[in-house]
Amino acid sequence: MKTRIGFFDFTGCEGCQLTVMNLENDLLQVLQLVEVVEFRELMSEEVSQIDIAFIEGSITRQQDHARLKTIRDRTKTLVALGACADNGGVNLLASHQDVAVLRQQVYASDAVHLLTEKPLPLHEVVKVDYRIPGCPIDGREFLAVLQALLLDREPDLPNFAVCVECKLAEYPCSFDYGEICLGPVTRAGCQAICIAGGDRCRGCRGLVDNPRTSPYHRVLEEHGLSVQDILEQYRTFNIGEEL
Amino acid sequence: MPADLSLTIAQDSQDETLWLAMSQADILRFARALMQAYDVVAPRRKKGRITLGSLNDAAELELEFPPSVHSPKKFLFPHWDELFRFKLDGNVLLEAESAAPPRIIFGMHPCDLHAVTILDDCLFEGETDSAYRAKREATLLIGVDCVPDEHCFCTSLGTDRIAKGFDLFFHRRDDSYLVQTGSAQGRQLLTDHAPETMAGPREAPLALQVKRCDSHLQFPTESLPLLMKDAYKDPIWKKLGTDCLGCGGCTLLCPSCYCFNVQDKLELNLKEGQRVRTWDSCQFDQFAKVNNGDDFRSSQSDRQRHRFYRKYKYLWDQHKRTACVGCGRCSRECLAKIKPTEVLNDLFTQAPSQQIANSPGSEYQPQMAKVERIEVISTEDRLFRLKIAESFNFQPGSFLQISVFGLGEAPFSIASPPDGSDEIELVVRRAGALTQALHRVRAGDSIGIRGPFGNGYPLEKMAGHDLLLIAGGRGLIALRSLMLALLAQRENYGRITLLCGARTIDSLLFQEDLLEWHRSGLIDCRFAVNEQHNSWGIPAVDVSYLFRDLEINAGRTIAAVSGPAEMYRQINPLLFRLGLSDEDIYLNLERHMKCGLGKCGKCRINNICVCECGPIFPYSSVKHLAEAIEK
Repeated sequence: MKTRIGFFDFTGCEGCQLTVMNLENDLLQVLQLVEVVEFRELMSEEVSQIDIAFIEGSITRQQDHARLKTIRDRTKTLVALGACADNGGVNLLASHQDVAVLRQQVYASDAVHLLTEKPLPLHEVVKVDYRIPGCPIDGREFLAVLQALLLDREPDLPNFAVCVECKLAEYPCSFDYGEICLGPVTRAGCQAICIAGGDRCRGCRGLVDNPRTSPYHRVLEEHGLSVQDILEQYRTFNIGEEL
Repeated sequence: MPADLSLTIAQDSQDETLWLAMSQADILRFARALMQAYDVVAPRRKKGRITLGSLNDAAELELEFPPSVHSPKKFLFPHWDELFRFKLDGNVLLEAESAAPPRIIFGMHPCDLHAVTILDDCLFEGETDSAYRAKREATLLIGVDCVPDEHCFCTSLGTDRIAKGFDLFFHRRDDSYLVQTGSAQGRQLLTDHAPETMAGPREAPLALQVKRCDSHLQFPTESLPLLMKDAYKDPIWKKLGTDCLGCGGCTLLCPSCYCFNVQDKLELNLKEGQRVRTWDSCQFDQFAKVNNGDDFRSSQSDRQRHRFYRKYKYLWDQHKRTACVGCGRCSRECLAKIKPTEVLNDLFTQAPSQQIANSPGSEYQPQMAKVERIEVISTEDRLFRLKIAESFNFQPGSFLQISVFGLGEAPFSIASPPDGSDEIELVVRRAGALTQALHRVRAGDSIGIRGPFGNGYPLEKMAGHDLLLIAGGRGLIALRSLMLALLAQRENYGRITLLCGARTIDSLLFQEDLLEWHRSGLIDCRFAVNEQHNSWGIPAVDVSYLFRDLEINAGRTIAAVSGPAEMYRQINPLLFRLGLSDEDIYLNLERHMKCGLGKCGKCRINNICVCECGPIFPYSSVKHLAEAIEK
């Protein structure tokens, strides 16, 4: 019997699921090995047992907690798909402000049906088995994690910084252009796609396990950033809260 | 073809180096022809950077360009290198490695050519790495000259030029080029793809170009192994560890770093895959980790140190060359600004001066030191206070070489303590021509000094112990350095007793100091002079007499003995009788230490050099040496 996989979403832009669908031919090949049993963007069925659930988005409402727990109950392996699910992602920017004020600013009313609370990553509500970081995820990394799970192997994420992939690709260093880049402390795996596109790294994949924060902060200070500026840099993708 | 020219060609032997002229147009034609048969890799401009890549249009070939981001390693030892393919079901199926494409790297700087010879050394050694060899054999290397940038330090490592290791090398000559052949394949390339050039006249070899690097080592590379030998515990590694971002850029970009990882990459059908080799880095967290979680190089300091030792020490031990070619890639791309030249120069500056030579013969060159003050301390002895350029570390008992130009050089014990001061004291007794000349020196004059040299009394070991100091004659000079060092931290030591022997009261040095220390209870000083009816009214005895009413606690006493060998023959048995162990008796075995560098052989005691291993020795390490104390 094929491995049954499902895709679910909570608060997020669905860009990670879109990345999966954009895999197109590769996805069709994968479908030879798995059966997609739930995927709101593709189908309306629901099943009772799922082997692997890929879940996108953060948990922002009370009713989301119950829904996530039911998914967990019928799933063998639960994978957080993308930054919002993995560590809260950009959603967590909301936690730095008063929710009532924020709601008024965004919806200009109480918007009762959109009554949100402080956004949470999945692991604060249920047990998360594996994670695929990034905003959005990297399609190749999704395939690699899926492959590993299908082979009963531990999926492993790169534990070195984006700088490595940047140097391998011979891209110019953002700092050389006076740009502040989070590449030196951010987990690789994206093939430095933002640098390739002419942008800087904003840290969407979260920190490496062992970020060299003090030399990094020294570099940032050399480029004229204060501690507050540094924290602001980290805040976009909710990384480095512990720094 | 003129007859005389064909004669010339016939006389060319296959391995003789040819120098031939080529114009820009000739080179363009040559490159076009090469592109028909080879994948021609050359510098390409990408986002304002020079990267090596396949040439699409021969007109884009550049022969003068700054260092490329990655070295040609990316083609010879690529980051993603398929070792073999396999199928998952049943037996693993090995497929033959696909043949490496015939390739020419057109634009190898001398440093990069040197780096290839390092890769050859490492990857052909022992079990030949066949995946590398396949690419190496299918790749021809064409060198071009370069202009060093601010990160290059090739001139320090001798890698700014190369005599072999290329197939062809293009040298700029005015508006055109001279091509130098470096191999039979290189000649064949010209024969096949630039026949007009091959038919042209043989040119004279070009004189070597002089290059200049802003970054450079302050010492010759031959000194690196010595420098690194003693640098393993240097605090500099800790500093590097706190500066380093751990991105591994230094090793990934290094043209000679080849550490790798091997992984299986599967096709999407999960039925087959490839085993690939990818670059790894000793700077990464998982590099030296093992399955149980242990990490054998867990701190970034350890990792940076490992990198430097791999580059500058370990390969030297095997192949007598560094694994660094001074291309500057590591520092050019380092966000933390770690520069190998700065690290090595720092180590060099801190290293004891006798270890490393600045330039040929410089270890023999004295530094000039100004004489601050001269004090007459006996009819024959003068105390010289010298101002030195920079304070140095030494142990009491170490010595300096003092030069008087025209008369030579002689060793003198340092009489002052190691207190970090930039003033040093020596005692010079008038004896031969050199010391007589020194006695004519006036305050304000300069004399030559070299050193400090040698091992002295172990202050650290002495802490917390009672000390029994025994001086005979001028042996007191080395002990004065020791006593002043002990007094500077008197509370760190127990009872200090000095047994001091001299021929006459007049020849007893530092009398006032000794009496003062004795009176104030800092050091229990006892004297013996071989002079009847002396001015102090003490009996004429030798120093062994002073042992008679000596009470010491043998378990907590260390003896420091300094005097003539004859005195040791007398004293040592008395020390053993007191219960002192071989390890706790330190003897000053000064000989004629001519060079101070462990080379000249004049101070040898049997098989050891006093200047290197002494002059202060624990008895335990010299008791087996027949020449040490016995007659």
